Amino acid sequence: MSASKTIVISCAGMGTRLGMGYPKALVDVAGKPLLVRQLELLKDYDDVRVVIGYQYEKVIEMVNAVRRDVTFVFNHEYKTTGTGASFLKGTAYGRDMVVALDGDLLVHPEDLKRVLESEEECIGGTTPTTDNPVLMSTEMTPEGLVVTEFSRDKGEYEWTGLAQVKTSRLGTTQGHVYYLLEPLLPLKMEKIRTKEIDTMEDYRNAVAWVRNGYRD
Amino acid sequence: MKKKLFLFDLDSTITKKEILPEIAGQVQMSQQMKELTERAMRGEIPFLQSFSERVDLLKEIPVPTVRSIISQIPLNEELVEFIKENRENCYVVTGNLDVWICDLMESIGLKDHYYCSKGRTDETGEWLLGIDEIIDKGRTIRSFPHPFVAVGDGNNDAEMIGLADVGIGFGGVRPIATALLNNATHAVYTEEKLCQLLRQL
Ligand SMILES: [Mg+2]
Repeated sequence: MSASKTIVISCAGMGTRLGMGYPKALVDVAGKPLLVRQLELLKDYDDVRVVIGYQYEKVIEMVNAVRRDVTFVFNHEYKTTGTGASFLKGTAYGRDMVVALDGDLLVHPEDLKRVLESEEECIGGTTPTTDNPVLMSTEMTPEGLVVTEFSRDKGEYEWTGLAQVKTSRLGTTQGHVYYLLEPLLPLKMEKIRTKEIDTMEDYRNAVAWVRNGYRD
Repeated sequence: MKKKLFLFDLDSTITKKEILPEIAGQVQMSQQMKELTERAMRGEIPFLQSFSERVDLLKEIPVPTVRSIISQIPLNEELVEFIKENRENCYVVTGNLDVWICDLMESIGLKDHYYCSKGRTDETGEWLLGIDEIIDKGRTIRSFPHPFVAVGDGNNDAEMIGLADVGIGFGGVRPIATALLNNATHAVYTEEKLCQLLRQL
């Protein structure tokens, strides 16, 4: 049953270069905040956890306005800990399978659905587009494409922040979420279409993408 | 793994209403109660003083009447079910008075499993004479062995939530106090979510 997993949306970190003064997950994209778009895609899942820290009141308010059956998990140390810490806090006391999702990731609904409906561990990768990507090297195997390595300087795909793994296999490594995934490699790769929103130009592109039915 | 203990606030966590204002409402003293509560919430009078004054206001009501009013207050039934199933590990920590809430505690399966303030009655048990002891929640909670889980909604639960291994803000009845959220590990806004999380711990 695909509903029997824990979904962890990380929204604890500060907003970034967009300079909005509020968490990036709350940015309005074509009439709806990013986070609300994600929650709509997760409506069939009954263990959704939103990890909060920076301006948590605003995140709670926005989530509660659309959906009250969400568990909020605090990362009060969001300024000094990485996304990995937020993710681990979210997975604590979770179900056997856990999905990691960044609150500021704009992902194609079909691609997210495909990952959610799968029962296998996997990592979401996309065509590299950002300035400073975390890259993933891949290998074709009889079971399909698998991620073999994360790296800052080589790899065919970009790490997206979306992954599905067994909770029991996660360690306690500090830092980024992908540090937690490194010991689990190789993992199946799912190609997903995403839009990163770091600059105003990214933002305009993302809005256009959504308005155009998630087509470029 | 060592069995966790569960500590619960009473008002607006287990009950669906604040108990003292509810009692006051039943005897047409809502306005005075409201003023005292609001002054305390604005920080104009300390919590302890406001609690004593609110209790004073309700002294005019026979203790059995207070108990029967309390027994009519609706409860978060799914949470009560969880408590009954896990009664050995569950405790209530509340500022309310033993002589008022003892029946309620027994009815949810927590006889001898609650920490509260102590009232003094006359020999008949009919009239409340005064408060013998107002609970020091912080001290009470520090006496609990870890690991423990704490659930509450108000400012006066913030310390308990902060000391807990898992500190849960519950916003199913009233908005959760900011001081509590700043100390919490989790926050939930429906009773169903609260019970789901408690069962996962
Ligand atoms: Mg309360």
